[in-house]
Amino acid sequence: MAEAALAALELVKRFGGVTATDRVSLELLPGEIHALIGPNGAGKTTLVNLLSGELVPEAGTIRLAGRDITRTPAHRRRHLGLARSFQITSIFPGFSALDNVALAVQALAGSSFRFWRPAAREPELVEPAQAALVRVGLAEKASVQAGALSHGERRQLEVAMALVGRPSVILLDEPMAGMSPDESRRMVELIGELRGHYALLLVEHDMDAVFRLADRITVLVYGRVVASGAPAAIRADPEVRKAYLGEGD
Amino acid sequence: MPPLHELPLRAKLVLGGLVLLLLLAPLFAVLTGDAYLLRLAQRIVIYGLAAAALDLVLGVAGLVSFGHGAFLGLGAYVVGIAFTHGFEGSTFLGLEPSQDLLVLAPLAMLVAALFAFSTGLICLRTRGVAFIMITLAFAQMLFFFFVSLERYNGDDGVALWSRNDLAGTSLAADETWFYLLALACLLLFLLLGLRALDARFGRVLRAAKENERRMLTLGFAVQRYRLAAFVLSGAVTGLAGVLLANQSYFVSPAAMSWQSSGHLIVMVVLGGLGTLIGPVLGAAAFLLLEDLTPPLMDLLVPGFGQHWKLLLGPILIGVALLARRGLLGLLLGTGRG
Ligand SMILES: Nc1ncnc2c1ncn2[C@@H]1O[C@H](COP(=O)(O)OP(=O)(O)O)[C@@H](O)[C@H]1O
Ligand SMILES: [Mg+2]
Repeated sequence: MAEAALAALELVKRFGGVTATDRVSLELLPGEIHALIGPNGAGKTTLVNLLSGELVPEAGTIRLAGRDITRTPAHRRRHLGLARSFQITSIFPGFSALDNVALAVQALAGSSFRFWRPAAREPELVEPAQAALVRVGLAEKASVQAGALSHGERRQLEVAMALVGRPSVILLDEPMAGMSPDESRRMVELIGELRGHYALLLVEHDMDAVFRLADRITVLVYGRVVASGAPAAIRADPEVRKAYLGEGD
Repeated sequence: MPPLHELPLRAKLVLGGLVLLLLLAPLFAVLTGDAYLLRLAQRIVIYGLAAAALDLVLGVAGLVSFGHGAFLGLGAYVVGIAFTHGFEGSTFLGLEPSQDLLVLAPLAMLVAALFAFSTGLICLRTRGVAFIMITLAFAQMLFFFFVSLERYNGDDGVALWSRNDLAGTSLAADETWFYLLALACLLLFLLLGLRALDARFGRVLRAAKENERRMLTLGFAVQRYRLAAFVLSGAVTGLAGVLLANQSYFVSPAAMSWQSSGHLIVMVVLGGLGTLIGPVLGAAAFLLLEDLTPPLMDLLVPGFGQHWKLLLGPILIGVALLARRGLLGLLLGTGRG
């Protein structure tokens, strides 16, 4: 078996009395789409935050390509090849779509202690940003203020920001949330195209999309992994049907 | 504020006009023989420099520093302490202090930068109201330190008998020359600052103000850039302090008081947050109000002039309601909303 691009081992995170992450172990193989499903409040976002470094687990280990990153701060993890998007869109509304992505490029393109040359005229920043916008289908909106984009376009923008710098792992927290059916369809297509190039953790509620895209599915309930395996096995798992999918679904 | 080269023609004309006005102020003063006007112009330019420097932290990075008076005062005290020892013929830490601006200005900037660096490491761990309070607290500590520093006359401060030299020539020799020197400092800072706003460094500050969390997950070590901005801002405010001491022939802890820090904030907000140029306008408006309104108010109600700051509130509210980018926004016609 190939070395996991990202591996979580027995992660624990508590908020007061709530154990949001209860000894969760999870592996992402290079190039695979690994879906994470579970009811609201199951701890999916918390797990993504632990993996991306915005939360620190009380116990457990996180490895990125074999390297222990459990205590590595979020901004360092991005440099090591771990990118994410947010469930609640997190962009720079006052900057153009292109500049949002250019910022993502800038973060990885050496020091930002540069004071003279306008960043908008650095091809090193602008060209990869443009390419990422093209990739997610936002090229025509490059000069539009991000705050003025539609909800679906902002989600696309988030993905573009995660794509730059060729990360090895991308965590997508409900990228289709709140999208129109048309936008969702395009997002599913895009995520499908990413397969093979990145290890993807896909948190998603839309079961059609999950079963269409995922190579592997992990089911989280009350912070705990109740099942993990191939889509067909998950679909058949009586435990999962009871806890999450709902009998007769 | 859009990049300078992208500004509409009208905005360019307004900005050009302002610079021209600043350049012509001494000519006007010489023609009218009005020394007061020249001194006012000097103060506007010097406070404008301090306010623009504060704006880098306050408007651009979104960190409300309520302690920038400390840097102004530190810069001034470098001049005051050097003068005291020069006057007495004594030494400072075994050194005979120079009275040359080419030594004192960099030294003052270094002292202010060190203070900004060491306090910034702590202040920047906080956000919002806590940041306001902790920057204020550090400035107050410095204020009370100098108030109790009898060696340099405590809260009476140091009256200077002369100005510093610049490469051998006294700055006291020619008021126009001194004004142009201060103006050169201001314009140089504005040029560098406006370039930096659109360069990588400024982008990081502005984006982190909008969404710090996202900046971190994008891979930016945001704190490092904020600390750098705080240090640069402190150093330039220290330079303004050096000029202010020379301009007013006086150094006292009052420059470090919370009122002094508050005045700088008012200048920035009044002139236009995050624009660097706006705060210079804010400084001009503030100092003009300070000079002109007391006599006017005294005319209306004798003895009322000392309460001129009563007017500041309504004016600030008016500007805040009318223009998002303060006076500069009003002038350029771009900041409405
Ligand atoms: N910052 C927090 N503080 C306290 N409780 C939290 C916090 N974040 C999440 N939780 C709790 O942890 C549990 C898991 O939440 P979350 O990870 O957002 O679930 P999901 O993304 O699966 O809907 C919930 O009970 C939620 O209330
Ligand atoms: Mg969630």
